[in-house]
Amino acid sequence: MKKILLLICLLITGSKIFAQQNYYSQPISKDLLYGANAVIRDEETSVEVKDLTDVVYRVKKVITILNKNGDNMAPIVVEHDKFKAVKSIKGEIYNAVGTRTGKFSESNFEDVSGYDGFSLFNDFKIKHYTPATEGYPYTIAYEIEYQFKQTLFFYDWEPARVSLAVENATYTFTCKPDFNIRYKEMHLPEKGQVTTNSSGQTVYSWRLTNIKAFRSEPFGEAHLPKVKISPQSFSYGGMKGAFTTWQDLGKWEYDHLLINRDQLSPETVTHVQEMVANITDPKEKAKKIYEYMQQRTHYVSVQIGIGGFQPFLAADVDQLNYGDCKGLVNYTHALLKAVGIESYYCVVTAGKTQKTSMMKDFPGMNQGNHAILCLPFKNDTTWAECTSQTIPFGYLGDFTDDRAVLAVTPDGGKLMHTPKYSADDNLRSRKAEFVIGDDGKLSGTMVTIFKGTDYENREKALTDNNTDRIKGLKSAYAINNVTFESVDFKEDKSPHPAITESLKLSASDFATTSDGRFNFPVNPVNRLNTTLREVRNRVSDVHIIRGYTIYDEITYTLPKGYHLDSKTIDINIDKPFGNYTATLTLNGNQLIYKRKSQLKQGTFSGDTYQDMVDFFQTVYDADSYNVSLVKNN
Amino acid sequence: MKKALILLSVFFLLTKLSQAQDFAYGTATAEEMDMTKYSKDTAAHAVVLQEFGESKINVGNDDNIKLIYTYHVKIKIFDKKGFDLGTVEIPVYNNSDADSYENAYGIKGITSYKDDNGLTRQIELEDKKIYPVKENKHWANYKFALSGLRDGCIIEYQYTIESPYFENFHSWQFQSDIPKISSEYDVHIPGFWNYNASIRGFLKLDKNTSEIERQCFSSGGAHCDCSFITYGMHNIPAFEEEDAMTAPKNFRSAINFELIEYMNPYTGAKVKVTKEWKDVDYQLKIDAYFGRQLKREGLLKDKIAPVIAGKTDDLDKAKAIYKYLQTWFKWNDYHGIYCVDGLAKALDSHSGSVADINFSLIDALKAGGLNADAVILSTRENGSVNSLYPVISDFNYVVAKVDIGTESYFLDATDPLLPFGVLPLKCLNGQGRVMSLDKPSYWVDLNTRQRQKSMYSMDFTLQENGKLKGTILISSIGYDAYLKRKAIKKFNSTDEYVEDLFSHLPKFKLLKSTINNADSLDKPIGEVYEVEISLYDKPGDTKFTFSPFFFNKITENPFKIIDRLYPVDWGMPSDQRNTLTVHLPKGYTVETPPQTLNIGMPNNGGMFLSSYEPLDNSFTFSNVIQFNKGIYSNVEYPYLKELYNKIIQTEKGEMVFSKK
Repeated sequence: MKKILLLICLLITGSKIFAQQNYYSQPISKDLLYGANAVIRDEETSVEVKDLTDVVYRVKKVITILNKNGDNMAPIVVEHDKFKAVKSIKGEIYNAVGTRTGKFSESNFEDVSGYDGFSLFNDFKIKHYTPATEGYPYTIAYEIEYQFKQTLFFYDWEPARVSLAVENATYTFTCKPDFNIRYKEMHLPEKGQVTTNSSGQTVYSWRLTNIKAFRSEPFGEAHLPKVKISPQSFSYGGMKGAFTTWQDLGKWEYDHLLINRDQLSPETVTHVQEMVANITDPKEKAKKIYEYMQQRTHYVSVQIGIGGFQPFLAADVDQLNYGDCKGLVNYTHALLKAVGIESYYCVVTAGKTQKTSMMKDFPGMNQGNHAILCLPFKNDTTWAECTSQTIPFGYLGDFTDDRAVLAVTPDGGKLMHTPKYSADDNLRSRKAEFVIGDDGKLSGTMVTIFKGTDYENREKALTDNNTDRIKGLKSAYAINNVTFESVDFKEDKSPHPAITESLKLSASDFATTSDGRFNFPVNPVNRLNTTLREVRNRVSDVHIIRGYTIYDEITYTLPKGYHLDSKTIDINIDKPFGNYTATLTLNGNQLIYKRKSQLKQGTFSGDTYQDMVDFFQTVYDADSYNVSLVKNN
Repeated sequence: MKKALILLSVFFLLTKLSQAQDFAYGTATAEEMDMTKYSKDTAAHAVVLQEFGESKINVGNDDNIKLIYTYHVKIKIFDKKGFDLGTVEIPVYNNSDADSYENAYGIKGITSYKDDNGLTRQIELEDKKIYPVKENKHWANYKFALSGLRDGCIIEYQYTIESPYFENFHSWQFQSDIPKISSEYDVHIPGFWNYNASIRGFLKLDKNTSEIERQCFSSGGAHCDCSFITYGMHNIPAFEEEDAMTAPKNFRSAINFELIEYMNPYTGAKVKVTKEWKDVDYQLKIDAYFGRQLKREGLLKDKIAPVIAGKTDDLDKAKAIYKYLQTWFKWNDYHGIYCVDGLAKALDSHSGSVADINFSLIDALKAGGLNADAVILSTRENGSVNSLYPVISDFNYVVAKVDIGTESYFLDATDPLLPFGVLPLKCLNGQGRVMSLDKPSYWVDLNTRQRQKSMYSMDFTLQENGKLKGTILISSIGYDAYLKRKAIKKFNSTDEYVEDLFSHLPKFKLLKSTINNADSLDKPIGEVYEVEISLYDKPGDTKFTFSPFFFNKITENPFKIIDRLYPVDWGMPSDQRNTLTVHLPKGYTVETPPQTLNIGMPNNGGMFLSSYEPLDNSFTFSNVIQFNKGIYSNVEYPYLKELYNKIIQTEKGEMVFSKK
C-alpha cells in the first residue's frame, strides 16, 4: 500500500514540472534574446536540510537553446562522490515547434571519472548526457535530485551566466527552525523572504525574473546575481563543528584537518636542523628550507575522500617527494617547524585574471582553491608559493597577489592580505642600440629588465634550453628575419626578483630601401598589437586589476647622409588610468626613440572605457609609426 | 638509512646481463647516475637510456589465449622539465558491453637518485599508489606518479598487459619527444597467427633479426613454432613538431602491426582477418555496425519522402536530403568508421557519431533513388593510411559520396554549415577508400575540387575633411565562405557579428552594412560595408602617409625553420585578392606610390603580384596572393619562405599623399 502511494506521488510530481506551462510556443521577449545563446525559462532549485548528514537538493530546469553556441549549455553533467549521491534524473526534449522529440533518464547517462584536468587521481565521478533534437531553438526540461551527506557547505545559487538569460528562477532553502544559517545576497534585484511552512520548517526563498544575458566586457566584471548560504552547525565526514566567524572556521580546520599532519621522521628533522645550523637569521633559514623543499619535490595532485580539504601527511610528502598545493604547503610548514620557524597554512582563491578575496563578512568553506604559506616574521610578513620548483623565496607573483586569504593557525582563522604589485613594481625597462646597414639590415644589442609580476614573463626562459629560448624570443620579438646571435639571462633571485635579458640580434631586410629611401618601423619590439574593442551600452565599471610600466629606449645608428622625411613623434598623453609618452629625435646620424607606457591599477567609472579605447588606439597608431628617410641632396 | 641501497657492483651485473633480451630491472650504473647531459642532444631534459618491449601470444593468467605485451623503460631525467615523465598512465581497452578491460599486472616502478649526502638510493613505487581509473566505457587507465624525483634521477618502470584483442597488436614507437639511446621490441608470433608489420618515419632500423622458435606455443594439445623478430634502434633523436603539418605520427619512427589471418589452435579453422581489400570489403559489408547499417533505407524512406516530393532533378534531391540530415542531427563529437549505437537509435535521439550521421545520409540518398557510397578516410590529425595493404584501424572517419550524372560529390552531414560537396579541412588528407557494398572498393582523391578564395574590393573617395568614404566589398568563396559563416554563426545575428567586427576597427565608422547569402551555403558570401575612415586628424596637414594594406596585412613569416624535412600541408589551394581604388579630390597627388612586385614560385606553384595603376585624380592598387597547391614538398619550402618574406617587405611600405 505504501509503495503504491509513493508511486502515485512520484507520478504526480513527475508530470507536473513538464506539463504546467507550454514553454515551446510561448515567445521569449526580445530583451532577453539579445546577446543570449540560451534562456532559462524556469528553474527551481530547492535545498532541504533534513539533518546534519542528510540534505536533499533538487533542481528542476527548463532551458531553451537558441543557437549552436548555446549547445554548450545543453550537456547535463552530474557530479557525485562520497558526499553527494544522485537519486534520480529524468527529462524531456522539445523541438522548435514544441513537439516532444525525446525523453531521458539516468540510464542514458554515461558514468565516467571526473577528471579535473590536473589531478593524477581524484575519487569524484561524473555522469553526463547531452540531449539533442533537430534544429534550433530547442528546449530541454529536466529534474535531478541529489542527496548530500554533509552540511559544511552548500552550493551558491547563481542561475544567470554570460550569454545566458533567465526568464524565471527560484531558490528555496528549507530547514528546521533550529538549523541556523547565514546568507549573503549579491546583485539581487529582489530581496529574499523568510517564512515558516505548514510543517513548522523555516523556508528562505529568492526569485529572479527577466534577467538579461550578461555580456563579457573588456576590463569589466560580470555582476551576476548570487546567493550564498553557510551553516552555523554542520557535519562533514563524521566530524562536527560550528562557525560564525573566520576565526571559528579556521579553528575547526586547524583542529580537524591540519593538526598533527606536520610530523616528520627524526632523520629528516635532524637533517634540516643540521642544514641550517650555521645560519642565524631566521629569514635566511627559511629561505634555505624553502629551496630545499623546492629542489626535492614536485606537484602531483591526488584527491581522495576529504582530501579536497586535507593535506597529505608531511611525512608522506617527504617520502614520495610529491604532493599537491596543500601537501607541499603543509610539508614546508613542517620543515620550518623542525627548525623553529612559525608559519601559517593559508587558503586562497588563486587566479591571474581576477583577484578574489575571502569575503570578510561571510566566512564559508567553499571559498578558496589553493594553498600558500605565510611566515609571520616580525614587521616582515613573508609569503611562499610552495608549488613552484623555481621561483624565489618570498615571491608570489600574479597567481595569488593582492587579496585576502585565510590563515589557518592554532588560535583559529584570520584573514590576511597578500602583497600588492603596483604599476611601478611591474616594470619592464629596455635599452637597445641598433645599427641600420646600407642594405637595410638591422643589427645590435638589446637589454631588457623584467620586474614584479613581469618577472614571470621571462621566468620560464631561465630553465629553457637554447632551442626553446630562441623559439620564445622569436615570438616575443616578431621582427621578420630576426636571428639571435647571443642570448643571455641573468636572475636576481631575491623576494623582489628581476631578470635581465641581454640579446645580440640582427634582421636582414629590416628596412626597405627603394629610390634612395629607407623605411622601417620605429618600434619593432614593443608594439601594442591589439586595440580595445568598442562596447555599446557598457554596464560594468572599468577594473584594471594590475598596473604596469614599460620603458623603451632605442638608438638607431643610420647610414650617413640621410634625413627624416616623415614628421617626428612627440606624444604625451596622461589619463587617470594610465599614460603614454613617445619621442623621436634625430641627432646627426643617431635616431633616438623613447617610449614610456603605464597602466594603473584601479576601478574607474564605466564612462572611462571610451577614453581607454581612444587611448589604446592612439598608442597603437603611435607604435606603428614608420620611419621614412631620404638621402640628402 | 635502512632503505639505502648503495650500488657498487652494477657494472659487472650489466655486462653479464647484456646477453639477455630485456635489461635487468632496478639497476642504474654509476655512469648513468653521474650523467648530467646527453651528449647527442645537450638540450634534452631527459633521455631514454633503455627501452624494451615484448609482445607474444600465449596462454594468459586466466587460461585463455591472450596477446601479452610487456613494456619496460629506464629514463634519465636531467632537470625539472623532465618530471612529467614520472607521471605515468597505462591505458587499457574494453570493447565489450561488460566491464572487461584488458588486464594489466606486474606494474612496478623504481626511482634511483642521489640523496643529500650524494649516496645513491632507490625508492620503489608502492602498489597502493597505483590508481585504476575508469575513464569511459572503452578506456580505463592505471595511473601512478613515481616518487623521489629530483634533478639527475633515473626512473624505471614496467608492466604487462594481457589482451583478448588480437587485432590490436601493440605498435612500437621508436621516436618520441625525448631522445632515446636504445629501444628494442621483440615479438613472438605463433604460426597460428599472421600479422603484417609496417615501418613509418625517416629513421632506419639498426637491428632487425628473425628466427624460428621451435614449439614455443602450446595450448590444449595444439602447438606450433613461433617467429621471433627483433626490431631495434639506437641513438634516436627527439621528434620536433613543425608548423603546417599533418599528424606528427606520420613522420615519427614507429612500427605497426595488422592481423591478417589466424588459425583457431583447437579446431584448425582458418579465419582471414585482413589480407586484401576484397577481404576488408567483405568484412565491412557484413559488419553489424558498418555494412548492415548501410542497408537501412527503410528507416529513412518515410522521413525523406516529403523532403524530395516534387523534385525531379537528382542534384536537387541530393541537396535537399543533405540539408535535411544536416539539420536533423547534432554531432556528438565521436569519430570512427563504425556506428556507435546503430542508426535507429541515433535517428531517434537526433544525436550521433560521424558514422551514425553519414550512414543515415547514405541510406537517405539511396532511399531517394540516388547512387551513394561510404568513403572511409583518416583525418589529418589521425595520420595517413597505409596504401600498400589495408590497415583498417588507420581509418577514423567516414563520409558519403553521391554520384550524379558524371559528377561525384563528397558529403559530410556532421556540420550544418558545410555547403553541398565540401568536406571539412580535417578530412583533406590524401585519399579515401570508397566502400561500395556491391562492387570492389577503390581509392579516391578527396581534395580535387576544393579551394579557398577571398576578394576584398574597396572603392574610396578622399574627402576634403581628410576622411576616406566608400565601400568595402568582401567576397568569400569556397572553403573561405564556410569559414566566414562559422565566424558569423558565433554570434546570434549578423548584426552582432558586424558590431563585433567594427568594434575592433575604431578608425572605421560604419554607415551601412549588408551581408548577402549568409544562409545560402552553396553561394559565396558577400559582405558590403559602407564606411568612413579617419585618415588624418589635423585638418592643416598637407602631407600624410597611408598603408594600402589595412586588411589582411601579413607581418610575420609563418616559416622560420632553416631546413624542413616534412611537407607544408595546407590541405587545399588558396587565393586572396585585394583591390583598392581611391578617388582624390583636386589638388591632391600621390607623392610616393606603393611598391609593386611580381614574383612566382617554380612550376606555377604560387605567386605574389601587386600592381599600381594611376589615373587622373584616382588610382587603383591591387595585389594577389595565390598558392596553387594544397601541399608543397620540403624541396619547395625555401621558395615558400622567400615568397612570404617578399610579401611582408612589400606590405610594410606606405604611400604618401600630398596636397598642393
